[in-house]
This record gives sequence, structure tokens and C-alpha cells, in this order.
Amino acid sequence: MKKFFLVLASLLLSVTVYAKAGDALKYLPVQDGGRIKPYDSFSREMLEIVYGKTTYEGRAATEIVMTWMLSPQAWQDKKIFEVRNHEVLEAMKLPKDQRYFSGEELFGNERFALLRQELQGKRESKEKLNPYFQALQRLENQFFVFQEIAAGRMLKLVPPKEGNSWVAVADLEPAQQEKFLAMTKAFVNHIGAMAKNESTSQTAVDLDNAVKGFEESARAVNPGLYEHSGTISAEVHYNSFHPFRWAYIFYFLAFIVLLLVWTLSKESLMKIAWVFLAIGFVLNTYGFGVRMYIMDRAPVSNMYETVVWVSWGVVLFAAILEIIYKFRLILVAGTLVAAFGLVIADFAPAVLDPTLQPLEPVLRSNYWLTIHVMTITISYAAFFLAFGLGDIGLIYYLRGEEKHHEKIKAVVMGIYRSMQIGVAFLAPGIILGGIWADYSWGRFWGWDPKETWALIALLGYLAVLHARYAGMIKHFGMVVTAIITFSLVIMAWYGVNFVLGAGLHSYGFGAGGVEYVSAFVAAHILMVIYVSMIRAGKRKG
Amino acid sequence: MDNTSVPKKSLLKRLNKPLASLKLAVFIIVALAAITAVGTIVEAKYDAYAAKKLVYDTWFMYAVMGLLVINLTAVMLDRWPWRKRHAAFVLAHIGIIILLAGAWLTMEYGLDGSMRVGIGETNNLVQVAQTDLVVYSSFDGDRYSKTLEQEVDFFKKPPTVEHPFIVPALSGEIRIVDYQKYVIPSRKVVADESGKGGAGLRFQLQNANVNVIEWLVQRKPDTVATHNFGPAQIHLGPAPEKGREANEIFLTPSKEGLRYVVFQKDSDKPLKKGVVKEGDVFDPGYKMSLQFRVLRYLPTALEEWDLKPAERPSPMTTSAIKILFEGKEHWVLLNDMTKLFTNNAVYLLTYGNRRVDLGFPLKLKNFEVSRYQGTMRAMAYQSVVEVPDSGEHLISMNEPLKYKGLTIYQASFQEEQGKPVASIFSVNQDPGRFLKYLGSLVLSLGIVLLMWFKHLDFRIASKSQKENGN
Repeated sequence: MKKFFLVLASLLLSVTVYAKAGDALKYLPVQDGGRIKPYDSFSREMLEIVYGKTTYEGRAATEIVMTWMLSPQAWQDKKIFEVRNHEVLEAMKLPKDQRYFSGEELFGNERFALLRQELQGKRESKEKLNPYFQALQRLENQFFVFQEIAAGRMLKLVPPKEGNSWVAVADLEPAQQEKFLAMTKAFVNHIGAMAKNESTSQTAVDLDNAVKGFEESARAVNPGLYEHSGTISAEVHYNSFHPFRWAYIFYFLAFIVLLLVWTLSKESLMKIAWVFLAIGFVLNTYGFGVRMYIMDRAPVSNMYETVVWVSWGVVLFAAILEIIYKFRLILVAGTLVAAFGLVIADFAPAVLDPTLQPLEPVLRSNYWLTIHVMTITISYAAFFLAFGLGDIGLIYYLRGEEKHHEKIKAVVMGIYRSMQIGVAFLAPGIILGGIWADYSWGRFWGWDPKETWALIALLGYLAVLHARYAGMIKHFGMVVTAIITFSLVIMAWYGVNFVLGAGLHSYGFGAGGVEYVSAFVAAHILMVIYVSMIRAGKRKG
Repeated sequence: MDNTSVPKKSLLKRLNKPLASLKLAVFIIVALAAITAVGTIVEAKYDAYAAKKLVYDTWFMYAVMGLLVINLTAVMLDRWPWRKRHAAFVLAHIGIIILLAGAWLTMEYGLDGSMRVGIGETNNLVQVAQTDLVVYSSFDGDRYSKTLEQEVDFFKKPPTVEHPFIVPALSGEIRIVDYQKYVIPSRKVVADESGKGGAGLRFQLQNANVNVIEWLVQRKPDTVATHNFGPAQIHLGPAPEKGREANEIFLTPSKEGLRYVVFQKDSDKPLKKGVVKEGDVFDPGYKMSLQFRVLRYLPTALEEWDLKPAERPSPMTTSAIKILFEGKEHWVLLNDMTKLFTNNAVYLLTYGNRRVDLGFPLKLKNFEVSRYQGTMRAMAYQSVVEVPDSGEHLISMNEPLKYKGLTIYQASFQEEQGKPVASIFSVNQDPGRFLKYLGSLVLSLGIVLLMWFKHLDFRIASKSQKENGN
């Protein structure tokens, strides 16, 4: 145990080093999206909107976004606008095999104005936007963001004397304008030195001083609105540290070690697996905590946050069941699906939005929200674990039912327990949702698609549990239903927001990834059919 | 089911057995899941109302629910007498029954409506989902009496030419021959052949900065129809003798054409007078040098709806019914009315959501929206309302007002040009609330206990089934 804490402590220390020279710019407070955030987050989000990534050709977003403003014409012919929708590319008469385009190619194109009109017409009809129009909307947003940043209207750096709308760069008072110019000069010197591979020790310090000078001048305008240093530095740290990335790396390491334990029966390695798992879990928790500190709320309000939370829950449940049953393969399934969840969250920022966003009004009574969302999503974690175990069960059935009878029994026990845990959280979670709805809207149940699909998932697992008691399904049936019934959870969790796109829970709605999720579900269903057929064949023969 | 101590089961239990079957339970659960899944797809494709009408509020949904209650009751009866280990199972199942009983009470006796109150205004009517058809009749065109009020559900039972909905009238009958779920309406004015309607005027107001084209139609002759165009008001109808200290233009139908009178803010004397006909232009004489053009003038006009059918609902669509009366067709939109004239009677037909009287006026004294810093995104909003005998209350997002057995919630608000103009409340009375909370509590308790006792009861159940040779 001592060793574990040592590893953890050194790990945390190595990342909480103070900002190095030249980094002060990252900490510059910016007002954007209804909150104050560090310039680091602002620039990452803006580059993400335009380019789809948080770095451009290895250069940091902080640098790229600043140069958009300082010399927009230099970016005119650079391919920085990501367009992925083929229909939009077709409508723009642009090559479909290309993904990045320059501003000239897109917005100099006369078809862009036509498409904007088309989008406007669609908006006026107030119909739901299909993926084509959503992609068009993104294109318009990319155009808007780049234009506004270039014009200095997007970057709001100075608190106002009155009210709460901050002043953008384009409208700065002379006092701050002077400091801002000094800052941009130091910035240009610094990146110039970096580009020429010269020593940056002096330019970095100059830049930091210039940033500090600007911050002081901005603070002087309205000191009361400029006090965010705690959350700002936490956010910069969160951006650079990627706690969830480290978490899945450790989960994956734990998974590898567990595989060795499992396949080679090397019990001695078990301790190492536990250490990796614990480190991953602590990092997962830590990242969750940092988000909570920055936003001052439990981070379970969008898909990204629930994916992170579910991964956390999977590891928790797997560890508890492992401690009780010592089956090993519960942990194998747990680490695998948790790592899988976090990897998806990390690699699909366009679908799962990792940015920190303020809450919709209806969610602001966060006491009930927090409890009902956390309870429901933690049940998904248990079902996800059952799903992972179901996959392992299928492998055993493929490798021979007779030979692995004991293992299959263990898998089914794990599935069964996970489903029970899931039901024990999901049913009260749905009821809490009802209480919350009654409390804020005055009705307990309104057949809203999100709540209805949570209910359908619950009914699905209840049907499985009752069918098992009735003797309608046995071991193989449990393995199959663990996989199939999870499709209902995917529908409730992802599908309602991204496929159905209707109802009161519209604050979590998004677009994208449907084809991948469908493929994932379809692949598993095909696998189940395949194994069932093989098994049926074996039984006959 | 305790087959060691009670060797022979009573007749009741044997009859009860098939109803208590686990297989039936699985069937019910799967059926419920399937039906509700279809419901959500209907909702995504159309809207919540369609889902309710086509899926959730149907005989098959109620049948499955009824079967569920029977199955739950039967299975608990089957396990009688209950033991300690049955606690979880009994609680979970009784909890569901209590919940459903609460839901039934709400459905049958509850009130769930919405209410719009403008800032500074008072309202006492709550709009609910049921739709009514109301007909008022008048023989002198002045005093009306209600001759029909009936709940109709055209969504589920749409009238057709073959099976019209018939409203008897003094002479002949009013036939409702069509129903359109989703139409995009636009206003259309036509000449009224019966000669009993008010006048209609289509005008254009134009200068370098403005260009307004509007229809004005009088509801009946000698009433005033008004268009408010910011700096001035345009009225179609009789003009007063003196100005009212406002920029106003009155156009009065007369035999020689349209007589116009222009009044100005700082004088009660007319600024200008004259007569215009269709196609004429005049300058009202204001400083902003406007041109007033009479595009179309109909001495007797009727407003009608031009309807464009839509495949699915959107915020622009509404529903409409088609009326056939004395050989003429009229479309009536939801929450709108139409007047039907005969030689000796006038009928006023309204079709719309029922409005329930609260029994007290609710005044919206103030409304506030707070927004996330530097954006137009609403962060929270709240209303200050006043009700009799109880004074002022603050209603905010999750803080409803409880008054005279009703609960009034802040639901949303209406905005015009970035400023809130009205607050929308949802008003409800829920006699099933206590049962729903009780049922939730009992059910949750049961589920937690189920974890505690693991699966004792079921294990025994399946064992006994095996022993019975099922």
C-alpha cells in the first residue's frame, strides 16, 4: 500500500509543476460562453470549432488563435476549416476526399452564400435540422468564429465598469489597448524566436511580464469581476494534464496485466494489476473532482461527462465484485470497458463535447439533477460491465462450452450480479427523475423520450431477470441478453439525444457518431448470432 | 406455494396460478417496453401529443397495464401466506401497484394545463389538452347564446365527408367534414358575398426607411380594426370627433369610398381629411413624409385561412377543421373561431383547447430573466405574481406556488425582441401525488431489500416449479 501512495504522490507532483516561462498567456481570463475561462481553454475550443483539433501542425491553440487575430490575411490560404459532411462538400462543389479547406475555398465560393440562405430558410420553417443542415450550421459557425476572432470581437478580455458583458479587444479603452499592444508585440517576438529556433528564455519572460501588465490594467477597471485565479489555474492544469487520458492508460495497463494473470495463471501479478487499477481510478476521480471544482457542479450534464462517470462506475463495481468473488475476469471486463469508454470520450470530441459549459436554467436546481442523473448513469455502468462480461462469455462459448464450464458459470454469476446492481440503481434513479420532474414541472411522468427509454432499458433487464427465474433462459441466454439488452441502454443513453432528438431533455442533444454506434451495436448482435449458430451446430453434432 | 406444509392447494390458488405465471410477467414487461419504444419513435417523428394519442393513451396500452396489475396481484396472492423473506418481493410489487393507482387518479381527476400571463396582466384561465367545439347562436347579430359545447377528439376520430361531425342549426346543419393535423396557415382576405361582414383594407405605408404592407379587416361593420405601426396607428372604422393625442390615421368605409382622417400627437384637431379609393395614394402629412397607398378595398370582406399541409408538426403548424355550411366551405384553425351567416341567424363556432377557470385571478406583477454573463443564454427566470387573499408570491424555476389545492410552476417565458413579454406557467392539481410518492418509496425499499435478501424468493420459486414438473 505504501508503494502505491508513493507512486501516486510522485505522479501528481510531476504534473502540478508551476507554469513554465511563456505560459502566462494561457492563464489570461477571457469571458466566453457565459463564464470566465482561461485563454488556454478559449483558444482550444475555438480551434476545435474551426479545425476539429486542439493543435494545428503541432503548434498550440493559444498561438494559432492569437495569430488569427493579429494577421488574419496570413491565414487566408491555409487549410484550417474542417468539413466532413459529404453532402455539404457536394453542394459546395468541393472535392470529397479532402477534409480541410482554406477560407478562400469555402467562403470565397459563391455557393456559400446560397447555402447560408438555404439554412436560413430551414431555420425559419422551425423544423428539426437533419445532419446536412447541422453540418451546414457548423460551417456557418466556423466562418463566424474565424471572422469574429479576426475582427477582435470574440476575445473579451477586460471586465466592464458596469453590467457583466466584458469588453472585446476591438473595443478596448486606450489604457488597456496600449497594454494589449505591448502584449502582442512580446507574443510576436516570442513565437518569432521559437520559429527561428533561437533562445526563448528572454522572450518568454518578456511575454509573461507583458501579460501581467495587461492583466493588472484589466483588473484595475473592475477588480470585483477579475477574481478567478483559483479556477483559472485549475482549468489550465486540467487542460494540460488530461487526467482521463492517464486514467485510461492505467486502466489499460491493468487490463494487460490481468490478461497475463488470467491466461497464464500468474497470481503473483495480481498485486500489480490492483496498483494500476487503483492509480487509474484515483486519476479518474481526480479529473472528475477538478471539473467539479471549476464548474461548481457535479459534471454529469452532457454525454462526455456521463461517459467519464460511467467508466468510473464500471471500475468501482468491477472492483467490488472482484473483491467478493475473486473471479479475475470481472476485473478484466471492467478495465476493458472502462478504458474503452474513456478512449472514446478522448477521441471523439466532435461528438462528445469535452468543453466545460454552463447549465441550462432547468438544470440549475442541481441537487435533484445530480442525484437522478448520477443514479441512472451509474446503473449504465453496471450494465456496461455485464456487457463486457457477456463478450468474455461469448469467447468461452466459442472456445468450448464443456471445457470452460466453470469459467462460464463465473461469467454468468458476474453478469447476474451486475444486472442486479444496475436494476437496483436504475429503478430508484428513474423514480428520482420522476420526483425531480414533479418538483420542477409539476408532473411525475410525461412520457418524455429520455425517461421513457430509461424505463425501456429497465424493463429489458427486468424481463431478463424474470425470464431467468422462470427458467426461460439459462447460462447462454444470460450471456446473450447481457449483450443484446445493453443496446437498450445505448439507445437510452446515446440514441435518444443523438438519434431521436426530441423531448424535454433537449439540453443534452448533439449530433454525430450515429454510424459508429450503430456499427458497434450491429457487430455485437452479429457476433451473438454467429456464436449461437456455432453452438447450435455443435450441439447437433 | 409452500408445498411441504400445504399439500393440496386451494381452488382459488389453482385458478390463480396461470395469472401469476412468470412467463406472463416476462410477456407483459416485453410488451410494455415494445409499446413505449414505438411511442418514443412517434414522438421523435411527430410530437408528444401524437405519441400520447396514438400510443400511450390507447386501449392496448391500458390493456397491458391492466394485465400488469392483475399479474402483480396474482403473484402476490400465489405466495400467500407471506413470510419474512417475501418482504422485498411484496414491497416491490405493491409499490408498482400503488404507483399505477396514483397515475390513474392523476389521469382521471387531475388538472394539467398551461397558462400565459403577460407582464402586468391578469389571467384566470388554464388551457388544457382536451379540445372542445362550442357554438353560439344569435338572431339579432348582437346577443349570442351558447347552443352547443362538446368535447371532440378529431385527432383520433377525424371527421370525413362520408362521416361528418354534425352540429344541428336552426336551419340546416353545420357539417365538419375534414380535419388536418398539421397545416401552416397564412391569412387570406376575400370579398364576402353575404354582404354582412365588415370592410377589408390592404394598405402600404412607405418612405425611404419603411415599407409596410398589411391587411385590416373589421370583425363586423362599424367596429375598429387596428394596425400598430410604431410611430403611428392605422385604424379601419369610425373616427372620433377629436384626436386622442396620438399619431393616428382613421379610414372609415362610406358610400363614396374610404374617408380618411389624420390626427397628430400634439393637437386634437384633424391634420388632414379626404376620400380615397382603391389604388389611390395620399400623404398623411407627418414629418416623416409617408406615402399611404390603398392597395385593395373590400366593402364587405371575410378573413379566411390559406392552409398549406405539412407532413409533420413544427412550431409553425397548427391543426384545422373544415366546415361545410349552406354549401360553403370554411376552415377553422385550432383555438380560432368563425362566423356563419344565414338570412336570419348568425352562428359563432369556436374550436380549441378547453380553458378551465381557476376560480381566482392570477396577476403577473413582474418577471425577470437572469442570463449567463455576456450572453443571451437564460440562466434562471422568475415571476412575481399576486393572488387574492394571499398577496404577492415569487415563482421561480423550481419553486412553485401552492394555492387553493393548485400548484403553479414556472414553465417558460415569451420573448419579443430580446425582452420578455409574458410568463408561461404550468398549473396542475394532482390528486394522485401522495400515492405516487408512497408507491415510489415502497418500490425503492423493496428493491433495496431485494439486494439484501438476494434472490431467495425466486430461487425457491424456480425450485418449486421444477419440483412441480413445470
